[in-house]
Amino acid sequence: MKKTVLALSIVTATAVAAFAADDPIAARKAIMQGNGAAAGVTAGMMKGEIAYNPAAAKLAIASLNAAAMTFGDYFPEGSDMGADTTASPKIWEDPEGFKAELAKFQSAAGAAMQASGKAGPADLDAFKAAMGPVLGTCKSCHEGYRVKN
Amino acid sequence: MIRKLALIVVLAAIAGGLVFYVLTLPQTLPRDVLAAMPDGDAARGETIFWAGGCASCHAAEKAQGDDKLKLGGGHVLASDFGDFVVPNISTDPQTGIGGWTAEDFANAMLRGVAPDGAHYYPSFPWTSYARMETGDLADLWAFMQTLPAVGNDPGPHRLGFPFNIRRGVGMWKLLYAGSEPAVPLDTADDKVLRGQYLVEGLGHCGECHTPRDFAGGLKKDLWLSGAPNPEGPGRIPNITGGEGGIGSWSEADIAYYLESGFTPDFDSVGGSMVAVQENMAKLAAEDREAVAAYLKAIPAVDSAQ
Repeated sequence: MKKTVLALSIVTATAVAAFAADDPIAARKAIMQGNGAAAGVTAGMMKGEIAYNPAAAKLAIASLNAAAMTFGDYFPEGSDMGADTTASPKIWEDPEGFKAELAKFQSAAGAAMQASGKAGPADLDAFKAAMGPVLGTCKSCHEGYRVKN
Repeated sequence: MIRKLALIVVLAAIAGGLVFYVLTLPQTLPRDVLAAMPDGDAARGETIFWAGGCASCHAAEKAQGDDKLKLGGGHVLASDFGDFVVPNISTDPQTGIGGWTAEDFANAMLRGVAPDGAHYYPSFPWTSYARMETGDLADLWAFMQTLPAVGNDPGPHRLGFPFNIRRGVGMWKLLYAGSEPAVPLDTADDKVLRGQYLVEGLGHCGECHTPRDFAGGLKKDLWLSGAPNPEGPGRIPNITGGEGGIGSWSEADIAYYLESGFTPDFDSVGGSMVAVQENMAKLAAEDREAVAAYLKAIPAVDSAQ
């Protein structure tokens, strides 16, 4: 399982790096799709629709942690328009505020990563405690820095 | 001849003024309604407070925790008519509403009339709160008495002519105001009716999710089908079952979104809906389920564009 996670993150990271320079909008959208999938597995387990599994929990946390470390690199000047981006102009008008939101995401995801240890959070309560703050940063940033149509 | 014409013009102007005066007289609540208002229960009122979303406009922007209970106002609502400045509704007697009676509060919330008889603009969603039950209103008032006084004078609205003439709101009220349901629902299902009360009344969801006509009146035939975002780019989404709406969401999906902020695709809530969702998360699970049942019961309207 650990190897799979590692391989997955390497594949994701390489793929993103290859395209990112040409198409930052596609890159950041792909990262967000990954976040959505991680949140989906998380919510499934939290709601009891998917049986709790520490390895799957760790995969979700690791995936969000990787996203937190890389996501902010894909907002170069000039990538505020086109390709149906839902990024708010505020990202470029208030870069410090955006960075502060990213920092919240990074610190929450980093702490969750720490807490999950080698085998992933031991039980559902540990997972909820680790993941809750990470999920809270989604809307904290989307409140001011995303525009939905 | 010219004299006669001038006289007719002057008389017509006076008659017009009189008609305008009479039509735009503030309509306060009947005395018997006010007299029948029960004593409020502050604990129950707290739920009403969150359901009503009072803090989303009247507390400081991005306020968290107990700061959401400091209702000093000052937030600016930009619109085509000018800037509406959100007033202080804290218990401060000078700059807030600390000097009000329960009757003043009822007239403001249900009729959009200030204690001095002036009309409130519909930027304050009394247009929705008009559907509230007086018991809930009394509870809310009792709860608001427990909140801290905040000394802050946010100043008047900044509106252009002719919208700066408050009296004109009286005409607007004749056209658009009322406490009848926004959409007729042929149902006796208590859950749906509770949802209707929460959405059309307390939650005032229609104020953002329903498009407006040139005069700012809600287009009820397009109820909750989405509208331009008044605060900038993007649109407020269609939350009916029509095309571009949330027809694919189950009732459980809607209730879960209101509780957690996650859509069925696990995208998260964003923009000004974040504050609304956090309010909804404070309600009882049955209330969120009632909202979901109502949204499934209303007419499906396709999104504009």
